[in-house]
Amino acid sequence: MLLVVIYSRDARTTLRNVCRSHESTVVRQLGRAALFEETELGAFLALRLRAKHGGDVQIERTSPLNEFESVPESVREAATAYEDREAATTPYDKFATGTDHPQPDAMRDADL
Amino acid sequence: MHVRIDGECHEGVAIKVTDVDGRELVRAIRGEEASPSVDCPAPGPVHGHVAILPPRAFDRRGALAATARALGHESATRAALEDARAELASLSMPAVDVRAARRRVAETGSEEERLRERVAELRGRLRARHETGADTTAVEAQLDEATRRLSEAETERIAAEQALDRAERAAREARDRRERRLELEDRIANREREVRYDLAAAVWEQFRSAVHAVPGSATVGPTPGEFDGDPATAALAVARLAPLEAPVVVDGLDRVSGADAAATLLDAPVIYTR
Repeated sequence: MLLVVIYSRDARTTLRNVCRSHESTVVRQLGRAALFEETELGAFLALRLRAKHGGDVQIERTSPLNEFESVPESVREAATAYEDREAATTPYDKFATGTDHPQPDAMRDADL
Repeated sequence: MHVRIDGECHEGVAIKVTDVDGRELVRAIRGEEASPSVDCPAPGPVHGHVAILPPRAFDRRGALAATARALGHESATRAALEDARAELASLSMPAVDVRAARRRVAETGSEEERLRERVAELRGRLRARHETGADTTAVEAQLDEATRRLSEAETERIAAEQALDRAERAAREARDRRERRLELEDRIANREREVRYDLAAAVWEQFRSAVHAVPGSATVGPTPGEFDGDPATAALAVARLAPLEAPVVVDGLDRVSGADAAATLLDAPVIYTR
């Protein structure tokens, strides 16, 4: 899908109008952002916004994340384990210390 | 106030003229037109709302806010509004232009693809010539050339991708600034609304009395904004309420009869035209 994010008042108005008149192509509108179908019409709408509002329009191409395909097992397990932690106030880096779970710094530097 | 039309000179606070376009008079009052000539004090902010009666459209809240300011009222929100405006003005906007970098990546990518196909094709041709024992010199030279260009194109494509990465990162940082600008613009719009509301509230009671004093049928509730009536009545009330030094043009308003009556009603200099 195409994610469109807006950074000005004028562009926000245009986005609203676009979303109103192209409901079938707009998958979601989330305030200042919208997801368009990945079709030529979706691209046309996104590019039209960019042509009109330049740098106030950010367009990203998105796809669903399959964590079993692209996220290492250690990271998946760490996320599950941390959500099951006993004390809600334990920060993650403290939680990970002394375990096999990865440290935030290590994860920060590792691209998916 | 002096009004000069076609060599005829009128003087006073209530002047009646005939066969003159009201809008022309308003332009003359603003000094935008030399003929007819109107010699009068410069119009203030409220005048913009009630320069001509009846007005074509009337921004009641805006007019009341301007009137309240002219009467010396201020909103407590004003300082916050000014702070937000100052911060917005000081915010420089870095350019977010990744277009050239995107285009270069696309172009270098397709050039590389084209050369890759060319190399494959030449390899095939070379193999065929080997098999039939034909002369391979020319094809070998073409293949060498194509291979060399492919390697250059690869290098170029990688460089283009790196440049795009850098541009995207810079654009992401620049968007934080745009985000801030948007927040400030929204805050300013909200504060402006609050200021207008506060100011309108400050003179609402006086506006209510003025509405009752001017001809026209309108109902005004006790809280600001509760007004049910025509724009002309609201504009007359504002003109009566506001301190006006520049003349108000009363143009074909049947419910006021004559220049003197209008000047008395509005407590302001009037040019009355039919």
